[in-house]
Amino acid sequence: MLGVLVKRVSLVVNRVYQVVLRPTLACPVSTRGYKGEASDDSRGDLIEIPLPPWTEKDGETMDMKRRRLLFQSRKRGMLENCILLSLFAKKYLNTMSETQLRQYDRLINEPSNDWDIYYWATEAQPVPNVYAGEIMDLLKEFTKNKDQEQRLDAPNLEYLDKGSQ
Amino acid sequence: MLFCAYKPLTNAIVAVKRNVIDCIPRNVLLLNKHSDRQISQYPVVDHHFDAVVVGAGGAGLRAAFGLSEAGFNTACVTKLFPTRSHTVAAQGGINAALGNMEADDWRWHFYDTVKGSDWLGDQDAIHYMTEQAPASVVELENFGMPFSRTEDGKIYQRAFGGQSLKFGKGGQAHRCCCVADRTGHSLLHTLYGRSLRFDTSYFVEYFALDLLMEDGECKGVIAFCMEDGSIHRFRSKNTVIATGGYGRTYFSCTSAHTSTGDGNAMVTRAGLPCQDLEFVQFHPTGIYGAGCLITEGCRGEGGILINSEGERFMERYAPNAKDLASRDVVSRSMTIEIREGRGCGPEKDHVYLQLHHLPPQQLAVRLPGISETAMIFAGVEVTKEPIPVLPTVHYNMGGVPTNYKGQVITHVGGEDKVVPGLYACGEAACASVHGANRLGANSLLDLVVFGRACALTIAETGTPGEKLSPLKPNAGEESVANLDKIRFAEGTIRTSEIRLNMQKTMQNHAAVFRTGDLLKEGCDKMDAIYQSMEDIKTFDRGIVWNTDLVESLELQNLMLNAVQTIHSAEARKESRGAHAREDYQDRMDELDYAKPLAGQEKKSFDQHWRKHTLSTVDIKTGKVTLGYRPVIDRSLDQEECSAIPPAIRSY
Repeated sequence: MLGVLVKRVSLVVNRVYQVVLRPTLACPVSTRGYKGEASDDSRGDLIEIPLPPWTEKDGETMDMKRRRLLFQSRKRGMLENCILLSLFAKKYLNTMSETQLRQYDRLINEPSNDWDIYYWATEAQPVPNVYAGEIMDLLKEFTKNKDQEQRLDAPNLEYLDKGSQ
Repeated sequence: MLFCAYKPLTNAIVAVKRNVIDCIPRNVLLLNKHSDRQISQYPVVDHHFDAVVVGAGGAGLRAAFGLSEAGFNTACVTKLFPTRSHTVAAQGGINAALGNMEADDWRWHFYDTVKGSDWLGDQDAIHYMTEQAPASVVELENFGMPFSRTEDGKIYQRAFGGQSLKFGKGGQAHRCCCVADRTGHSLLHTLYGRSLRFDTSYFVEYFALDLLMEDGECKGVIAFCMEDGSIHRFRSKNTVIATGGYGRTYFSCTSAHTSTGDGNAMVTRAGLPCQDLEFVQFHPTGIYGAGCLITEGCRGEGGILINSEGERFMERYAPNAKDLASRDVVSRSMTIEIREGRGCGPEKDHVYLQLHHLPPQQLAVRLPGISETAMIFAGVEVTKEPIPVLPTVHYNMGGVPTNYKGQVITHVGGEDKVVPGLYACGEAACASVHGANRLGANSLLDLVVFGRACALTIAETGTPGEKLSPLKPNAGEESVANLDKIRFAEGTIRTSEIRLNMQKTMQNHAAVFRTGDLLKEGCDKMDAIYQSMEDIKTFDRGIVWNTDLVESLELQNLMLNAVQTIHSAEARKESRGAHAREDYQDRMDELDYAKPLAGQEKKSFDQHWRKHTLSTVDIKTGKVTLGYRPVIDRSLDQEECSAIPPAIRSY
């Protein structure tokens, strides 16, 4: 009996934990009055000013998805992500399956703060459950740079030019 | 009724209510001159708006939100999703004389900014910005931006470079307000969220090609939608340029790959001048190699710069401010140390930033993320070793010239003249509040104050729903022709090659320390590289999500910025702020401020260099023409805030 109660409580706790970590909410939480009074970052604005939720694009061929994700990997908010994601896209984008493409699409387009993607990739912060998966693992592994390749800049596009190969 | 291709970010029902008059695509037929293949067809969609903002970073969003709030039907055209603009990278903060940490006065902030600009800043614009600063920060707080707080609940303010009390005599000021280390993101999130409540129409992943100019008046913008390749003409009486800087002209810079000076290039192609492009700020601490930024906040929290002898060398160059001296002073000092042989590393070509003497707890709380960046891009453990750093291109003080109200100006017959219908704000503009050198944490302030100023000026001078003057039916044709030309370019030199040539030339010839011969050589090389654009080769012939095409158009924009930068630098024979020349090491003002002024004769306008550079380019030949206009030395109200007369700048 106690076991059941504990299980129920932990389920509730889990769900609350997931909701709090979710970067965008589908509806505003209106009566919080939370103005970020803690001395460190409370992320109050993410709760009080919800942005429209990200939705997946319909009716896109896999080829179009790849082309769109290429642009969106190369053009990020800060240099660190530009370098990391464009190198990642060079290595993996053209061989991703449909499920992987959709995971990657969500990973790079849903979070509103580009720094969050960087912190998850570098394991400085825990990855929220919604983004955990194959692609996130690939990205984390890639970021570690076990082969210690030089990462001075984003690659040029010519690797895509079939005419030159 | 065909809906225009537009991202479903706002309420779709609202879009119908707004008077998007002409949504029926019209075909523009173009003959491709290079081959006799099929004729290229580009469907054109016309939109009518009361105001169009190009760029959705901090400045663009503040302008768009201000205009929407004032009832103007506003469009925001952006090549990136708003929260992915380069503003998101800003980790420092916003300066404002709120006086939460110690007694403060905006006039001291005014003095610091004027001095920081090395007396090239326009004092009326600086007066406007520093006076509005406290109100702007409070306004952001009211919008919901969660600033970091002190124990009593007031906004926490930290030290930042170049900020002092009592006109430089009262020690370090603490006036930088921040949201932990994500001030930029918080600003974007807050402004974007609010602008949606006022029904701003966002056109995301639309690349703006050119301004639609007719008889010297700006009548809108032409852009192309990356998602479906359609062309869109946004017709409006008020166009605001907020496209950011152009760091990507250099090989090593802290900017994202999106900083390509699109707005400056659009203005240049419209035949209008750009101002002070030679003033490029080098941030002292960019990671050696990748160029990723280590925020100035590190030095604000106690980090120090050391040379190969382990010496805190800034104590020699800036005895008072030391490592928190103005950025150009620190960059120049670092370069001198390297040139004199005290650089670190096997090539002795960088210096070290030391943080391991600070308590790890402080690093973790106040500066998270530094550890990751240092490890991934430099292989360094910050709690144990120092980080190798080098002055790296970080900000462009120059840009589209405006007055303090945000209106774009030209200089005709010795007078400033407003360009009707055109406004600019943010890094793309040159108001000029930063003059020859920008102080840290003044840029985010610049965005909100002048974004708001553009919105206010437009609201003052116009009314929502005003009828638009007619536009030639084929307006924007040249822009589409150019797009088509680049899309099917079959030259011999790839985009990436030309880009690398440009970046390496700028890095070698127009970096921190400049000298006459090197600059002259650089100008000749840049002119040749500009001509080589005729021979460009692209490989992707598609029209949908064509990254190669977008990067090639961006290269065209970068090229225009690069030629103006290097020619302006070669012409300016003095050292001022971020423009440091080995062969002309002193400032050349109208009077010699190092000596007593009594009995000195004022130099004529042609003989001194305390003036703004105005540069234009002949697009076909790439020839740069330079002109000059005087600095505005009066504040907005001499009684409220007296202007600061020039003096020798030391920290």
